[in-house]
Amino acid sequence: MKLWHSYRGAEEEALEKSAALFEQQTGEKVDLLAIPNDVLGDKLTAAIPHGVGPDVFIFNHERLRSFQHLGIVTASDGSIDKSAYFANAVDALSVDGKTYGYPLSLKCLALYFNTRLVPRPPADTTELERLLPGLSRPDENRFGLAYETGNFYFHAPFLFGFGGDLFDAGGRATFDTKGMVRSLEYVKRLQDSRFIPMETSGALVKSLFNDERAAMVVSGPWFAGEIAPSVKYGVAQLPRNSETGRPMSPFLGVEAAFVSPRSAQLPQAQALARFLSVGAASRLRAVTGRQVPANAAAYEDSAVQEDSLISSFRQAAANATPMPNTLEMARVWEPMKLALRAVLQGGVAPAEAGALADRRYRALHRERPPDASPVPYLAVGALALVAGGAYLARKPRALLPFRRRYPDVARAAVYTGPAVAGLLVLVAVPFVVGISLSLFHHEAGSYSFVGLANFADILASRGYRISEPLSFYFTLVVTVAWTLVNVVLHVGLGLFLAILLKEPLLKLRGVFRVLLIVPWAVPNYITALMWKGLFHRQFGAINGFLVLLGLEPVSWFTRFSTSFAANVATNTWLGFPFMMVVALGALQSIPQDLYEAAEVDGASKWVQFRRITLPLLRPALLPAVILGSVWTFNMFNIIYLVSGGEPGGSTDILVSEAYRWAFQRNEQYGFAAAYSVLIFFVLLGWSTVTKRVTRATDELMG
Amino acid sequence: MPPAREPPVSEVVLTGIQKSFGANPIVKGVDLRVAQGEFLVLVGPSGCGKTTLLRLIAGLETIDAGELTIGGRRVNDLPPRERDVAMVFQSYALYPHMSVRENLAFGLALRKMPKAEIDARVAEAASLLELSGLLERKPKALSGGQRQRVAMGRAIVRRPKLFLFDEPLSNLDTALRVQMRGELARLHRKLATTMIYVTHDQVEAMTLATRVAVFNAGVLQQVGAPLALYDRPGNRFVAGFLGSPAMNFLDVRREGASLAGKGFALAVPDGLPPNEGPELLVGLRPQDLVVGSAGPLQGQVEAVERLGFDGYAYLSSPAGPVAARFDKGTNVAVGDSVRVSPVRDAVHAFTADGSRALRHPFESVAREAAS
Amino acid sequence: MRRRSALWVAALHAGLVLVCAATLYPVLWVVKMALSPTESLSLSANPLPSEVSFEHFQAVLFAHDSAGRWVFGRQLLASLVVSGATTVVGLTLAVSAAYALSRFKFPGKQGGMQALLVTQMFPATLMLVPLYSILQRLSLLDSLGGLVLVYATSSLPFSIWMLKGYFDTLPRELEEAAVMDGASPGQVFLRVVLPLARPALAVTALFSFMTAWNEFILAATLLNDASMFTLPVGLQRYVGEYKVEWGKFAAGALVVSAPVMALFFALQKHLVGGLTAGGVKG
Repeated sequence: MKLWHSYRGAEEEALEKSAALFEQQTGEKVDLLAIPNDVLGDKLTAAIPHGVGPDVFIFNHERLRSFQHLGIVTASDGSIDKSAYFANAVDALSVDGKTYGYPLSLKCLALYFNTRLVPRPPADTTELERLLPGLSRPDENRFGLAYETGNFYFHAPFLFGFGGDLFDAGGRATFDTKGMVRSLEYVKRLQDSRFIPMETSGALVKSLFNDERAAMVVSGPWFAGEIAPSVKYGVAQLPRNSETGRPMSPFLGVEAAFVSPRSAQLPQAQALARFLSVGAASRLRAVTGRQVPANAAAYEDSAVQEDSLISSFRQAAANATPMPNTLEMARVWEPMKLALRAVLQGGVAPAEAGALADRRYRALHRERPPDASPVPYLAVGALALVAGGAYLARKPRALLPFRRRYPDVARAAVYTGPAVAGLLVLVAVPFVVGISLSLFHHEAGSYSFVGLANFADILASRGYRISEPLSFYFTLVVTVAWTLVNVVLHVGLGLFLAILLKEPLLKLRGVFRVLLIVPWAVPNYITALMWKGLFHRQFGAINGFLVLLGLEPVSWFTRFSTSFAANVATNTWLGFPFMMVVALGALQSIPQDLYEAAEVDGASKWVQFRRITLPLLRPALLPAVILGSVWTFNMFNIIYLVSGGEPGGSTDILVSEAYRWAFQRNEQYGFAAAYSVLIFFVLLGWSTVTKRVTRATDELMG
Repeated sequence: MPPAREPPVSEVVLTGIQKSFGANPIVKGVDLRVAQGEFLVLVGPSGCGKTTLLRLIAGLETIDAGELTIGGRRVNDLPPRERDVAMVFQSYALYPHMSVRENLAFGLALRKMPKAEIDARVAEAASLLELSGLLERKPKALSGGQRQRVAMGRAIVRRPKLFLFDEPLSNLDTALRVQMRGELARLHRKLATTMIYVTHDQVEAMTLATRVAVFNAGVLQQVGAPLALYDRPGNRFVAGFLGSPAMNFLDVRREGASLAGKGFALAVPDGLPPNEGPELLVGLRPQDLVVGSAGPLQGQVEAVERLGFDGYAYLSSPAGPVAARFDKGTNVAVGDSVRVSPVRDAVHAFTADGSRALRHPFESVAREAAS
Repeated sequence: MRRRSALWVAALHAGLVLVCAATLYPVLWVVKMALSPTESLSLSANPLPSEVSFEHFQAVLFAHDSAGRWVFGRQLLASLVVSGATTVVGLTLAVSAAYALSRFKFPGKQGGMQALLVTQMFPATLMLVPLYSILQRLSLLDSLGGLVLVYATSSLPFSIWMLKGYFDTLPRELEEAAVMDGASPGQVFLRVVLPLARPALAVTALFSFMTAWNEFILAATLLNDASMFTLPVGLQRYVGEYKVEWGKFAAGALVVSAPVMALFFALQKHLVGGLTAGGVKG
């Protein structure tokens, strides 16, 4: 049996032990597969319907409703003993009156505090605010509190503490509420007072706490495993909000073992999932994995009772707000992230952030377009086929018989056959399927034919203003600017360096050349992550330089211009060596005597460059430039990993926008495919125009 | 020197050979018989189709129409390797990644010849071409002349029925070209194999060939022994192509006993068929025109070439440009107005369109001498 | 001809040293992260580690999974197998197709070349969904063989373009000479054309190898079995959403990049000529 999960470290170890126990007891072999948290969901939704997924998988209950829509989870009613678990955990797993999966552990946020710095944790926000000034020394990178400020999951306790509601009575998300404004103002004040760090990532939180530079941290049970042994810490509930008297209630997440309906051995799979959720496995999870069991009986174990971490989290979980497993909830993250970051980065006042989030929420929540009849489209397609056939048939007969015109046809077929077959199956078919997907709407696992509605929505910029980052036109302009700037820099820098490397007086030419092509050899996702680190607001080397020069550090990803510049810098570093090498080769092919002739004619270096080098380089550089611009236009990795579209999706280019529609916004594959088709047409048009223009100039030049 | 071998039977017969590229006819029906052991030189201006004709014989191009036989066997549809033909390319086409030895042995190895025999043949060819010390070198470490010899060696080791040469000497400097010409001639004498040689250089044609075939615009103009073509060109093209400086052509009109051109008149030579004309074309080789103070043609000297023993003057005359010879002692300078006179009986005569020769010079002299 | 002052030469060298320093700077940061024992971050422009320790490398290189299998060794093997096979398959297909495109006349040749360029224009990530279904239907999902086929075909368009460009510059007379020497079409291709195209083959092989060696989105999506994970997929595990182990990631990144860099340096002489299709003069 196959079991997929995203555990690491101690949690993984606990699961492995439990699986081994199960094997011992039943003789069933269990294959465990750990998959990174951020890709596990997509893998599950892709693999299970194709029958290649696991029998059992462990996942947060948050996406349960979407899993249920997709039919990749089996109900556990009849097999589950609901009384064995905490009631709110079982509730979290029910959809439309049925229960899915077996609750394993509870996840919510609590307050970790360094006992050396904070002997007694704050019970309410008044106490917290009294503590913070003494614990924070911003000039030494010391902070009273650290958490992932840009992530709504971590902001939710503040929101709920201020009495903000996320959903109205009708189940729709609401953002423009008083609680929202107050919570944002509060957090913004903490940041402006420099009690909490800016642009905080999980990695930063961990490193600050382990270096004892963050006295308190808001995080979940998983964080315990990340803490260095040298750091003495305690865990407490999040403080009560002194202004409202409400607890800062975090989201409750329930991790559960789900059974795939495609499993070939359903009873055994159910047995395994149940086994993992109770009894010895549950105790192992608490003791070894230090997770918070959802199984009530686990707490009878003395080892579990003595573990203050687990008991603290159990208490925190009692106060937690179960996270809705609705599709609406899934749509909240991106708008909230946008609003949070906008406020923290200072671009938007807290009072306006709710409206911003609301607008994004409505834009992302595309209403399903009405079904269209495929008949007219099929008719047009058939007509095109007939017309094409007629055109081919009417083509005047060739002067020579086919065999004489193409004597090599048989051999050519043999030589190209394998490549053509491969390209047809693995490139052309996905391409055609991709294009036809653009005529469908995808929702919860089923496709419906909507004709050109996706295109109409995109091109009419329905749901948002043209000047907003979500609009196709805005993104197109950004993409074109991105491509232009990059290609100009690549070619300029590459050519410049190539000419320097050609200089006859240069010593160590080979060494320079080797060093300058290093960026090419580095995989580009590594490059992207590397540069993202360099641009970090507080710990990046670029800001290190600025400080060295006596300048203010720059918050690179909070403004469009600097964020765009960071992307460009990364991509320039990545791409200039290719152009340099092409230019080197092209320079080599220019006969030296042309320069000698020019020198005899008295031409200056500049004139030689303009009149000899450039025109003669053109034929060699042009294909590279066309190819390079196509690559840059679709350079997904850099945008996605460096700026991530920040701020507010404004630095996203068309491909990353398409990617988000496909994989981050409820799998709107059809809409994303329409984006891809538009990208394709833009590039096709561009390459046709370039070819025309160059052909025209070539004719002019003879 | 190894003993001469019996040359293989290799008469080459072309019958009505045609070839076009797309709508462009390049070879327009060629009939040609190349006898066993003959050294036939195909000569013509660039782009006349002579190289295409050679490639058709080699099998590198397919024949559109007509029949080609080598050694009595029809080879139209045989691939090159079954025609037993070797070819030397203008660019030599040596394999840059192989040593000289490997270049020479390549064709033999492809035929799965035993190693000992390959070595023997390579050694033989190398010594014949004085390449023995260079066998381990790569082509790029060789001089132009050496590369040329390797290219020939690669053909020789195969002992083919027929050698084809495509302007093999055109990439060499003058001195080397003269030397290689000599070697080629020696080679032919020794191997006695049929050779077909394409060139645009008339000197090569004249010095190497047992027979010359003059080719122009896809059509064979004339075939014959070198001197026969020089003395008795069949049409204006052949007459103008062979000989340097090229023959002077003057338009004339038969008027009684004289041939009148623009600003000059010549006596009607013996043997000119009386029924031809009256519009005719007269050809005079510059070697047969002497610059002096007298003569029927008058012109202004535009350029002078002194070659030592004698020289040529290039005149503009009312009848058109004329080149003429002068002796060492003669005083000729640019701008002079001079007269030229043909030596006795030097006149070639053609139909007005140049398509057919009507009379050749010195034939009456020869006839007189014979009688 | 060129007379340049010593000052100019000094400036040229200084300038290039500066550019190289800027180029290497980010790489040095990765080295620093990999070698620094703690994961502590501090605002500094100094790319040299203050303390050196190999614990991250050790953790990356010598980790064993619960079944006692050597994780890095397996991933390295998988990466080598996939990249090697991709190179061989991709190159074989590309070389023969490029040769046909360069030398033979057949209908659809122009269109084919254009179509190859066009394939580069459709965003690759968006082909993922259909590709997944196709591989599943071919029973090639979750297998290294399927991954090899996908990599090999996706690197084909670029490889074919490059090789065709190079073949176009090879003098046809060499092939004709071989034909006259009695070589069959296959022998001409294998014994004359391929050896002559060595620089372009080397560069194309390098690119195919790199494509496969560095790719992780497809590998992460198409492979489920952990025992088949390639190095980049393994590397991805160090940069999760909640836990980023920069030290290990950096160490892993260096280990993953090292072979490609080595190949680059070994082949960099060919790179210039191979990319721009230099002529062969015999």
